[in-house]
Amino acid sequence: MKQLKSNPNNIDETVIGKIVKQTSMFHSKKNCILVTDEAKKQNGYSAIISNKIIDTNVIGVELDELGELNNNDIVTIDADGIINIIHEANSKHNAIFITGRCNSNCIMCPQPPVKEEADRHDLNLKHISLLPKDTISIGITGGEPTLIGNKLFEIIVHIKKSLPKTYINILSNGIRFENIEYARNFAQNINQNTVVDIPLYSDVDTIHNEIVGSKTFNRTIKGIYNLAKFNVKIGIRIVVHKMNYKRLPQLAEYIYFNFPFVYQIAFMQMEPIGNALDNIEKLWIDPIDYNEELENAIKILHYRDLHVSIYNSQLCILSEKMRKFAVKSISEWKNIYVDDCEECILKPDCPGFFASSKDYHSRGIKSIKEIQACV
Amino acid sequence: MSYQILPYRFERFDDEVFMSNEVGEYLYLPSDDFGKFVNHELKPDSDSYNTLKSKQIISDNNTEDVLEMLSIKYRTKKHFLTQFTSLHMIVVSLRCNSNCSYCQVSKKDINDLNFDMDKETAKNVVDKIFESPSPNIKIEFQGGEPLLDFEIIKFIIEKAEWKNIFKKKNLEFVICTNLTLMDEKMLKWLKGHKVYISTSIDGPLELHDKNRPLFNSEHSYEEVVDKINLTRKYLGNDSVSALMTTTSFSLNKFPDIIETYRELGFNSIFLRSLNPYGFAKRDKHFLAYPMEDFLENYKQGLDYIINLNLQGIYFAEDFATILLSRILTPFSTGFVDLQSPAGIAIAGVIYDYDGDVYVSDEGRMLASVGDKKFKIGNVKENSYQEIFNGDYLHSLIEQSVAESLPQCSTCAYLPYCGADPVRNYNEQGDLIGHRPTSEICKKNMGVIKYLLSLLKKNDSNLNRIFWSWIIRKPIEE
Repeated sequence: MKQLKSNPNNIDETVIGKIVKQTSMFHSKKNCILVTDEAKKQNGYSAIISNKIIDTNVIGVELDELGELNNNDIVTIDADGIINIIHEANSKHNAIFITGRCNSNCIMCPQPPVKEEADRHDLNLKHISLLPKDTISIGITGGEPTLIGNKLFEIIVHIKKSLPKTYINILSNGIRFENIEYARNFAQNINQNTVVDIPLYSDVDTIHNEIVGSKTFNRTIKGIYNLAKFNVKIGIRIVVHKMNYKRLPQLAEYIYFNFPFVYQIAFMQMEPIGNALDNIEKLWIDPIDYNEELENAIKILHYRDLHVSIYNSQLCILSEKMRKFAVKSISEWKNIYVDDCEECILKPDCPGFFASSKDYHSRGIKSIKEIQACV
Repeated sequence: MSYQILPYRFERFDDEVFMSNEVGEYLYLPSDDFGKFVNHELKPDSDSYNTLKSKQIISDNNTEDVLEMLSIKYRTKKHFLTQFTSLHMIVVSLRCNSNCSYCQVSKKDINDLNFDMDKETAKNVVDKIFESPSPNIKIEFQGGEPLLDFEIIKFIIEKAEWKNIFKKKNLEFVICTNLTLMDEKMLKWLKGHKVYISTSIDGPLELHDKNRPLFNSEHSYEEVVDKINLTRKYLGNDSVSALMTTTSFSLNKFPDIIETYRELGFNSIFLRSLNPYGFAKRDKHFLAYPMEDFLENYKQGLDYIINLNLQGIYFAEDFATILLSRILTPFSTGFVDLQSPAGIAIAGVIYDYDGDVYVSDEGRMLASVGDKKFKIGNVKENSYQEIFNGDYLHSLIEQSVAESLPQCSTCAYLPYCGADPVRNYNEQGDLIGHRPTSEICKKNMGVIKYLLSLLKKNDSNLNRIFWSWIIRKPIEE
């Protein structure tokens, strides 16, 4: 998520609130943080964010770039002045960040796990209360969200209550669900709008295990079966890189034959940041060089009537037939385009690039000027 | 690292080795690697090693978890067993107005009313059907020509629907008819019920008329076509399906037969070989043909159909679709002729006009020439338990588990095939049969191997076509 550094004033513990840029009698002030160009106290607001030096008795922070904040964003302000924009009003890719801890340590993790952290549970519950009622979908992510155990159910129940129509997308490595009781409890607490997306990087245990950094292939599979027993909607996610691209077609067949019940499958271009960047020698393959394997895998799943997508891939490096599977999946705040994109007719539909990936662009990036007529 | 070898079957295929596991997942191994594999000398992390592991033919850790996955898939593949009998065929009359050269049921004279089912028997049949635990009940009216006794069809449908108010099953009806007697009055009545029509078209006019004349006319084709259109008008476009039977006169005419189906607006065809029962067995000297000839024709027909699809015309071959589903999907298929244990009485059953119950359509075909080997009871004399849970049926089923039949048990294509004890008995004198001389084995193995050879090409267009048949809709490229 997007972070801003500010100068804190009287912030003793993390403050959470919705950004408002104008005072009004129609919002609940205690849930709001006022963005202002004044220095003095504003009654009722949980904090202010000002581009002035603020008065000593006021709870708030000083920040120059007020333009980075939009009405209805939700932010947290930590005691050290870090502003986290945990909900962007203009984004379709918002998520509740459950924990930074993880029981995997994937070789290409863009956001390596932390060992210790402050408990975020109450903040998360508040976060959910602040979400707009018309939120179309919300992610639940981490880290590994199931590490907070039954508290995860409280989060889900809270979302169901305050946003009954919102789609809930949980990212989990599935290991915790090998416990059938946990899977059962989970299934009883979610609703029909909930999908659990689980990564499975290979059809071969040793390859998957090397990627996730632990011998958990069989446990993840048990988790998938346990969730399936309780009719939970399951997605499979595959980040593609040099260690697993060769067997994508075999993985596709494996998924179909062993988990024909899955709700969706996504192949994802790797984001070269975090662990991925540290291990880039082992992982980097120009995405255009795995097009053949990817295309075969997509066809296998598509022919079998499964819902399959490609995430994070630039349209110009995919063959025309593959482009319809590509999804605009990169969060707005880390999404960029390059010079070649400016003249490209596909740009409006193109996922573009991770801002972080600028050193690792495919050599196949090019401006598409026209699309050949359908044969 | 050492590895454990899990159950598998194999056969040389071209210059490689075809291997399948217990649930039909398969792979090809280079001959060299196969030798290493059986000697436990395969190099870990090699492609062959990984693929064998992915298909669960070898395991080098957590074997109990791998077996658990295999058992889940095994249950899925054998799912048809959990439902019990869903197909219930009723012979409402053995009288017929057709005079087909190959009549497999030895039909009776059109005026001989002794061969009609009476209401008392029909009522008992319906009662028995609704004792089946299956949530899906398909009642199929057979003959003879069932439309010769439309009153009893109406009686059975109404009775079944009445019972179903309480039983709440997925109930549907099929009338297997030559259609020539269908009229608007019948269709108006049928419209209000969930009825499908299964008719017979053997090919273009001349061939159809040669195979399927009427008792009072040399011609039936045009009549059938008119009635197909009339039926569609009342019951909907998808209400009519058709079956073809291959006689010696059909050989070398498969493309014409396929074109006839297309002209009539069908989007699939079942290229069926002659079943050697009834007149077909009696007159085999001029109706039958070596299975090799059928296979040759089948392949040509299938190639012809594939070519249609390559031109963008969606058209399927039903036997290939069934086999491809068995080869490529983890699911079981409802086709009773290709199951193990055989579907006899436990997937499909037939009630004859006199209330006798036979394990399959072929079982009553044998009875019609005097051999009641496959009779398992009578609806008026026996209880449901006696008919469907009797020692005799148990013993028939025990002898029709392909996994335990000589040669089937080690056949690499076993997961795609099934056991047919009635056919074995009819052709070879006992339930077990003798595979090296079995016509049905020759046919199934021939078609399975041909389909596998097409799949082995790994041609994207071909795969797309095959899957469009399996999922029953065209697939965009």
